[in-house]
Amino acid sequence: MNRLEATQHLVRRAPQALIVAGPGNAKFDLAATGDRPQHFYIWNSLGLAPSVGLGLALAQPQQQVIVLDGDGGTLMNPGALVTTARLAPPNLLHIVWDNGQYQLTGGQPTATATVTDLAAMGRGAGLQYVAAVTTLREFKAGLETWLTEPGPWLVIAKIDDSPAPARPPKDPVWIKLRFMETVCSLGKVGVK
Amino acid sequence: MSWAEIVFERFKANQLKVICYVPDSVLAPLIARTEADPFFTVVPLTREEEGVGVLTGAYLGGWRGVLMMQVSGLGNSVNALASLAIPYQIPFLMLISQRGELGEFNPAQIAMGRAARPVLDALDIQHFTLRRVDEVATLMDGAIKTAYTARRPVALFLSTEMVGWKEEK
Repeated sequence: MNRLEATQHLVRRAPQALIVAGPGNAKFDLAATGDRPQHFYIWNSLGLAPSVGLGLALAQPQQQVIVLDGDGGTLMNPGALVTTARLAPPNLLHIVWDNGQYQLTGGQPTATATVTDLAAMGRGAGLQYVAAVTTLREFKAGLETWLTEPGPWLVIAKIDDSPAPARPPKDPVWIKLRFMETVCSLGKVGVK
Repeated sequence: MSWAEIVFERFKANQLKVICYVPDSVLAPLIARTEADPFFTVVPLTREEEGVGVLTGAYLGGWRGVLMMQVSGLGNSVNALASLAIPYQIPFLMLISQRGELGEFNPAQIAMGRAARPVLDALDIQHFTLRRVDEVATLMDGAIKTAYTARRPVALFLSTEMVGWKEEK
């Protein structure tokens, strides 16, 4: 499937969700769907998107939290699957766009291209709700479950290697403040 | 009160709700106390840099927290601090159990223990050291206040002078 098409569908189906996007194409394609304040773009920190999503899901249990990351990020911090399984926030949907390569650095293959199965790793980590999809049709059908049935959900979505056409804003503090303002308006929490 | 009792009390008084940790024998009583108290959301990590991510997400959602770890974990967290906490201005407390200074028996603990403060200085992260039980409350409150004012992590070291050093076996 194509990552941008899948991301566009996701944003249409979950317009209120808070979305944490990991380094590389996950956040580029999220930006390509149209920049919005409920997007938290991680500009570096490969591997930490699911950890950020976990902390956010714990602090905001009434909100749907979605993490978009790649196979490279997942392989850099597989411990995040373990920690998410232990805390198990039901409002977390973690989507891994898996193209079997480090696309931005020249297409070097990741281990998922040959030997490693990220869905099996998620199950092995203790995650109970794990799905693997390869077509946009499967993704669209599955999304209806992932957004309505309690998670945490881990979804491994096999994608092609189309490059992402857009870039998000680059100022981290602005991204953060805008995001926090949105969280405040949703939940009326006391953000310090 | 013991240093650990005071630290526990200051966590609560300062609304540090999220307790991220990788276990350490010095930190063990704090881990047990916070896990037994429903005020806290306790997140056991597999690796310390995860905690920088979790505390970032928690802060975005309106919660404050602490990362408890041995000094070796600071080494595991450097790029997370440099690429996430600092540029996005995410405050939290790091409570670091010191190794490699007074009374160390393990040669593999020396280098990171000695590098910790220069690494924090290079990142421009403020750090303070808890040496006496009667200073713990003041330094805790002050460090936490400064972290949230500066919107940057602040580190507090638990010195072996105060907490004792690990017995050689």
